[in-house]
Amino acid sequence: MAIVAQHSKFSKIAMPVLAWVVALIFFFPIFYMLLTSFKTDADAVKPEFLFSFTPTLENYTNMTDNYDYWRFASNSVITSVSATIFALVVGVPCAYAMAFDPSRGTKDILMWMLSTKMLPAAAVLYPMIFLTKSIGLFDTHFLVIMVLSLINLPIVIWMLFTYFKDIPKDIIEAGKMDGLNTWGEIKEILIPLAWGGIASTALLTFIFCWNEAYWTVRLTTIDAATLSKLIEGNRAPEGLFFGRLSAVSTAAVGPIVVLGWFCQKQLVQGLTFGAVK
Amino acid sequence: MSNRTIPRLLQTPAVLLLLFWMLVPLGMTLFFSFIRYFLNNTRRPEWTSPSIDNWRGFGNYQYAWNQDAFWLAIQNSLLIVCSILFLTVALGIAIAVLINRSFRGRGIVRVLLISPFFVMPAVNAVLWINMLLDPVLGLQGIAVANINDVILGLRDAPLVGGFFSLWPKFEPISFRATQTSAYAVIMMVTWQWTPFAVLIFMTSLQSEDQQQKEAAVLDGAGAWSQFRFLTLPHLGRPIAIVVMIQAIFHLSLYAEIEIVSRGNGNKNLPYYIGELVNNNIGAASATGIFAVILANIVAIFLLRMVGKTLME
Repeated sequence: MAIVAQHSKFSKIAMPVLAWVVALIFFFPIFYMLLTSFKTDADAVKPEFLFSFTPTLENYTNMTDNYDYWRFASNSVITSVSATIFALVVGVPCAYAMAFDPSRGTKDILMWMLSTKMLPAAAVLYPMIFLTKSIGLFDTHFLVIMVLSLINLPIVIWMLFTYFKDIPKDIIEAGKMDGLNTWGEIKEILIPLAWGGIASTALLTFIFCWNEAYWTVRLTTIDAATLSKLIEGNRAPEGLFFGRLSAVSTAAVGPIVVLGWFCQKQLVQGLTFGAVK
Repeated sequence: MSNRTIPRLLQTPAVLLLLFWMLVPLGMTLFFSFIRYFLNNTRRPEWTSPSIDNWRGFGNYQYAWNQDAFWLAIQNSLLIVCSILFLTVALGIAIAVLINRSFRGRGIVRVLLISPFFVMPAVNAVLWINMLLDPVLGLQGIAVANINDVILGLRDAPLVGGFFSLWPKFEPISFRATQTSAYAVIMMVTWQWTPFAVLIFMTSLQSEDQQQKEAAVLDGAGAWSQFRFLTLPHLGRPIAIVVMIQAIFHLSLYAEIEIVSRGNGNKNLPYYIGELVNNNIGAASATGIFAVILANIVAIFLLRMVGKTLME
């Protein structure tokens, strides 16, 4: 306990205070956005109403009229949920085979998959526009779902692989002895055992899909446009609409931020591929 | 049936999908990079469709290589990525050490700190450039105006008035301008990704060997040398991972740059290619291939650095 004794005064008072200050500074922009979302557009740009103002809900009630929010939001939900499910359906069997039946090439395949994440999206932008326009997929839900799941597939497989690796092989072997086929092993043994890992992979993939802002902006116009596209299209350079812009922004990020609070721990294990514990 | 068949079959869909995703568009980019191909060209309408007859050899590469904007874009990409990496790692370590010990409300502090990471990039950019950094209507403008008012008031004060009358009037900075927009992007992305670094470093610090630290204290090691010789080496692997994952994400920054300035001055490589795609597909593709090469250099370097630790 020598450490505690050594700088007890500093660590007991100054460090927590400093930690709180830093945390409040980091949270402040989000708080300020939330605050502004309850101001009218006129009040939002007046310094005298910075922190004292008459709160109003009109920005939220007018969200549909101002921005057609729910159409974009439902596109975001449809594409993110479907892309997450598709990535898991493809990723779980793949990671299962890699974790329990590794061959000499498994490591290379895993590394190659990770390296596809580093392929600059901009380099293949025009071919994607060209291809999807010529086969009529441009600005469709199907396209957005496929692109979102493919860009996340490497991370999904990596995350699942690191979770599956920790499951003892004997359990799967025992399943084989009991006469289970591969599908049975996955369904009866793997999924119940790795349920937590699969759930947190799904949660993180969903968050990444929801926040994606390159392909969803460049490969959609109206029909399949997501919330990223909505915000990007309404950047309001003259600052005339701070109130309503804050409301729609808050609505777009609120659910995800709250969801994120619940999966901090999984985020660490997932994003570092289990290398930091 | 050989016992290798089933594992291979299970991996096939994922591998094929990723192969297709990687090879088909990239193959097309490669083809376009060797032909003359414009979306609008009234003088030479035959160049407006992709055809092998418009073969240009390495002409597009030469053209792309000789553009000042290309080198500026690479410079900007590197400036933005390296600044963000440096800031997030430094801030991340400092904050992680700060909140490593338990104190009252630590759980809430963690929740507040991690929140920016989940804000979607488009919202992040709109929020910062409008509501925080706008030189007139944003908090920056309001703060600068208030500081100027205070100084103006102090000029009439007894004793210190003479001192304050020497102070200049502060001017707010416009972050939509050519030179400053990159700094706005660096600021907002650092705000978003520092929490990520904090989270990972904090997790890693939890597993630090406390007995070793106590032994160091008994040997008379101060706080700084404990940090320098015990904590920092312990953080080596997490730092490598934070750098790798962020490099993957930040080399392709797009929404932030689009929203801050529409690429006015601080184009990075993805943004520059995105502009070329509006007309000159040949040059855009050649530039894209350069981007792929650059990304590969970075990737080889990073995977070497991190790959081994991931496989343990």
